[in-house]
Amino acid sequence: MQKNGNGTGGWVDVERGLVSREAFTSDDVYRQEMSRIFDRTWIYLAHESEIPSPGDYAVRQLGSAPVIVVRDDGGQIRVMLNSCRHRGTKLCRADAGRIDNITCPFHGWTYQRGGALITTGFDHHFPDGTDFSELGLVHAPRVDSFHGLIFACWEPDVIDLTDYLGDIGWYLTAFFDRTPDGMEVLAPPHRWRTRANWKIGSLNFIGDRQHTATTHIGPSTLDQDRSIRDGFRKARQDSFHVVTDEGHGCTLTYLALGMPAKSYDTHAEALQPLYEQSLEPDQVAMLHHLRVSVGTIFPNLSFIESQAGSGEKAVILRLWQPVSGTEMEVLSWVFAEREATAEYKDRVLRNGFHNFGAAGVFEQDDMELWASATAASDNPIARRHPYSFQTSLRYLDAPAEDHKWPGRAHRPADTEVAQFHFMRRWDALMQSNR
Amino acid sequence: MNGNRSGTAVGDAEYMEIQRFLYQEAALLDRRDYRGWLGLLTDDINYRVTIQQVRPAEEAVQRFCIVDEEADSLTLRVEQLADPHLTHAENPPTLTRRFLSNFDIAYGTAPDSYGVVANLLVYRNRTTGPEAGFYVGVRLDVLRRIDGALKIANRCVDLDETVLRDSTLSILL
Repeated sequence: MQKNGNGTGGWVDVERGLVSREAFTSDDVYRQEMSRIFDRTWIYLAHESEIPSPGDYAVRQLGSAPVIVVRDDGGQIRVMLNSCRHRGTKLCRADAGRIDNITCPFHGWTYQRGGALITTGFDHHFPDGTDFSELGLVHAPRVDSFHGLIFACWEPDVIDLTDYLGDIGWYLTAFFDRTPDGMEVLAPPHRWRTRANWKIGSLNFIGDRQHTATTHIGPSTLDQDRSIRDGFRKARQDSFHVVTDEGHGCTLTYLALGMPAKSYDTHAEALQPLYEQSLEPDQVAMLHHLRVSVGTIFPNLSFIESQAGSGEKAVILRLWQPVSGTEMEVLSWVFAEREATAEYKDRVLRNGFHNFGAAGVFEQDDMELWASATAASDNPIARRHPYSFQTSLRYLDAPAEDHKWPGRAHRPADTEVAQFHFMRRWDALMQSNR
Repeated sequence: MNGNRSGTAVGDAEYMEIQRFLYQEAALLDRRDYRGWLGLLTDDINYRVTIQQVRPAEEAVQRFCIVDEEADSLTLRVEQLADPHLTHAENPPTLTRRFLSNFDIAYGTAPDSYGVVANLLVYRNRTTGPEAGFYVGVRLDVLRRIDGALKIANRCVDLDETVLRDSTLSILL
């Protein structure tokens, strides 16, 4: 199967639960993804705590273009193309740092850190009437943040970020804005390149419970905490996928809701009253029972909240940055509540990257198998045979009736319903955004 | 780390003994004798690997850990690599060859301890994919003599990396 042949011209066969391997290997598809999705929708760039003071910047990727994410003199976050208006030189050549004015090293055009042109150095040679205010750095037309999570978009007419996030915002709030001071990034992001298509990451985090026992046989076998495994078993019927219209989703794994609250020691005692101050009672109840949650914000931002130790929760944010049809760069940040003690943050950080960092004991097996899937699919013979998402089909149109929180919920949580939901949204955008 | 070095270089006999110990340790890791390697560590081992962010030259280098383990978590990591049924990243295994050089060995500040600085170069051939490359960095070890035998009490590997270009790190350095 190249495209699906069902007349829509897409890569996803909705009726049969199949997706063309071309979608996971082709550089042509990658280029179309850049123009039809990544340059037209909200993309995550950074967390506000990474650039706390005026002049602090980070260089990140907004769709197909590298950008400077900087805090200007007024404390506003600006997102600007990292390229001089004169002859295109890269202006910030480090990954992060602090800038005052930005002077291009090539010919000396100088900009304020908010992007306005101060001087070209040769203003007197320009034609009379030149409007130098139009020669500032190229700004992303839309920049917004959601509880400290900075997103931007090259499309001026895109819907508001809050509307874009929609129902998934309720869950994101419970992970990223659950105390009065909010969350902070604990260290620079771990970064690595992997020869795998970026969508495998998004799919893995939106809801792939089928991979955990086999891919992660190492950590799950070596985990000696029987109570956690017993809890997992009891939790199975109370776990579910949540999906939303924009293609976002998450998977919530619970201890059985009927179990006494204290039977599972998830969050630090000192933080729990702070959650109650900041969140709705239902969000607190969710966190209180949560064993582990993973999710994906369409297209390429994912998160995981997992047990770091008894009474500790590591919150990880993950970006799957496409490099080509068969390669991505991964960025991974660890977060904790600002109010937490330094010792707590240190334990969360260390445990967070023990499991999910650039040498993570979960990550290393994921990456090996994702790269192997991409390599083995990247040939014309393999591409005749689509990937199967067939364990989604029986459940797609049957959301859980008793779900009282935002989004559509699907049980059980070991189907591919959230993943196929993501691929349908992806395909719809690829077909419509021509 | 420098706080663990006295500034007094060891004599030739100890220099040779410590080099021989570290070469044997490297050979053991190249043979993937992971459980044997665990036997070379003290109970209070701290094992770290750091990389850095690309920052302007005017700013101080900012290193951060990608691995930071003590005995419990390091043992879990090693047990996963040591059992072919528990790892995909290392089954089939990565072929490695470790090279150590530029030794600077001093007495430690604690009794019966040594501070070792050495350059590390590890060739890695990830046999399941097209990747082959090197990990390069400086390694700072604290060794301790316990009942006459040298043990590794502290290891910090500062890699000359900002982005791991060959996927995740699944070997020991």
